[in-house]
Amino acid sequence: MTLKILIANRGEIALRIIRACRKLLIKTVLIYSDADQNSLPLAYADERYAIGGVTPVESYLNIGKIIQAATETGCDGIHPGYGFLSEDAAFVKTCEEEHITFIGPSHNSLAKLANKLSARTCMQNAGVPIIPGSDEALRDEEEAIAVADKIGYPVILKAVYGGGGRGMRIANDSNDVRRYFRITKMEATTSFGRDAVYLEKKLVEPRHIEIQALAEKQNKILILGERECSIQRRYQKLVEEAPSTAVSESLKEKLSRATVKGLDAAAYTNAGTVEFLLEPTGQFYFLEVNKRLQVEHNVTELTTGIDIVEEQIKVAFESISNLAQNEIKVDGWAINCRINAEDPRRDFTPSPGTVIHYHPPSGPGIRVDSALYSGHFVPEYYDSLILKLSTWGRHRREAIERMKGALDELEIIGIPTTIPLHQTVMQDEHFISGQFNTTYLNTLTPKLNQRLEQLEKIAAAVAAANRTVKPPQDKHKISHRSFWRGTRRFHHVNN
Amino acid sequence: MPNYKIQIDGKTYSANVETHPKGYCKIVLENSTIECTCDRNDAIAAWSIPLDGSMTHARSRSMESGRVEVWIGGLPFQFSVLPLGPGEMPSPGKSGERHISGQVRAIMPGRITSVMVRLGEKVAIGTPLILLEAMKMQNEIVAPKSGRVISIRVREGATVKKDAILVEII
Repeated sequence: MTLKILIANRGEIALRIIRACRKLLIKTVLIYSDADQNSLPLAYADERYAIGGVTPVESYLNIGKIIQAATETGCDGIHPGYGFLSEDAAFVKTCEEEHITFIGPSHNSLAKLANKLSARTCMQNAGVPIIPGSDEALRDEEEAIAVADKIGYPVILKAVYGGGGRGMRIANDSNDVRRYFRITKMEATTSFGRDAVYLEKKLVEPRHIEIQALAEKQNKILILGERECSIQRRYQKLVEEAPSTAVSESLKEKLSRATVKGLDAAAYTNAGTVEFLLEPTGQFYFLEVNKRLQVEHNVTELTTGIDIVEEQIKVAFESISNLAQNEIKVDGWAINCRINAEDPRRDFTPSPGTVIHYHPPSGPGIRVDSALYSGHFVPEYYDSLILKLSTWGRHRREAIERMKGALDELEIIGIPTTIPLHQTVMQDEHFISGQFNTTYLNTLTPKLNQRLEQLEKIAAAVAAANRTVKPPQDKHKISHRSFWRGTRRFHHVNN
Repeated sequence: MPNYKIQIDGKTYSANVETHPKGYCKIVLENSTIECTCDRNDAIAAWSIPLDGSMTHARSRSMESGRVEVWIGGLPFQFSVLPLGPGEMPSPGKSGERHISGQVRAIMPGRITSVMVRLGEKVAIGTPLILLEAMKMQNEIVAPKSGRVISIRVREGATVKKDAILVEII
């Protein structure tokens, strides 16, 4: 009997999961909000189910509607993708109660990692180094200041139920703690529903290194390699790579062992990623566990040849994967650029709108994950990620050169995107050298601004050339000679 | 002689366009020479432009009233392209100059959580003026230039649209 899976997500990741299911001859049901009625992945799902609404709360976060969709269509399992309900314990529990296989960790294993504080405790007990910080939620500004004074500034105020680089504020001294404590609580409530806040020491110029793991139910935890994710803007990843120039074989061994110890202590199952911060000294600290498939999983797939979504499905239904640790090899280098619908000229403000023309790059070592198409209207309600452009090369330099060409070939016409930022990174000597950390992107602002100015100048030139080639059509005008007649001088009527 | 005046966001460029066979154009824009070749002249024209030793590409289309849209390097640009008359020269000194407006606007729609300055107060670049709640974040809107607050157009609890003027500084 064929399996049927409901995909509780949208956009590029919905398409990614559909692709894995098609390959495995698994039937798919895709839910969609009113804003996603014309989305690309709908065309490739075997069944589609309208859940209505537009905002995430009305649609992709609505557990009731999603479970109803799964039961009405007779689904055996649900793949939550990333974001939305992918780490929601209540959702996982409901799936288990309804006998729908949740393609991700079990409710049991989520409990120990339920929030940032419990994850820290779990890791610490497993012998994984954690960042110095408060052990509990902070009662008020005064307690926050007391803890921060003891740990030493700067510190970062963080939402206990947060994650993904959101709901955080840096405090350089006690005045900052006082200034930002209330704001952080407010943001925590709006973003995560609970206002509990704690704090951690802010490390000096660390690198963000994460380890991709796949835990089978018999507590056999496979390591699929590390990813380098230091290139971030306001704690949001923009460029990722696998492997990392900062990780030697011995460091990889240590990080892998810490990952296995930590996930084992949490009785974790299915795919997951443990994030670490790495200091220049080589000391690393646990940052966060991502209990789901990640956006940047594609670079791990490119270097290992593994289909992580397929393995997630296999582990969820059969408790085993197709893999053996000694067969997992990292080959070559992969880079991923997150192309967002954001305007780099306006502080990266989200820029929803119509992509009037879309043309993706292709060729050797080029991979595109996107739900874009010519005429697609990028809605304002969801994440601004619209395309993942990844390249693979036999070595890092080849992956970079391929990325430069791919970024130039990529056409997303109609809305501003982060492409100029990625081109600036790919051509920057510090990125190319592999010597960078989480402060890197801030230093690129002058070079980015230079590129933006240069683009405007060239665009102005093209505008003038366009005007010459295609003068405005006027009914009184005599039709002009075709520009393509070539040898004769172009003739147009001045107006 | 320059034959076009190109305007965007209060800036003006002047350019001279020379067309050659096979879609090749040579444009002298301010002090730079930019070459581009029109590869395809469809509804949205396609251009290739040699730049810094490699190729970059652009798309463009004419709109009404002298407006031209250009897409290059992942960004859209909307210009007003006006032919210059025979004796006309573009106004000197405007090109490339960026005037910092004292009108502080909402970068996205949201709700005012806090007004952190008073009327008449002197501010420096970066002084926090307004706390705007948008997209689940408290955004600190800071002064883009130093000066005095001459007008506060919002109060706590107000909802604002994108680009609404919040505070004025001179």
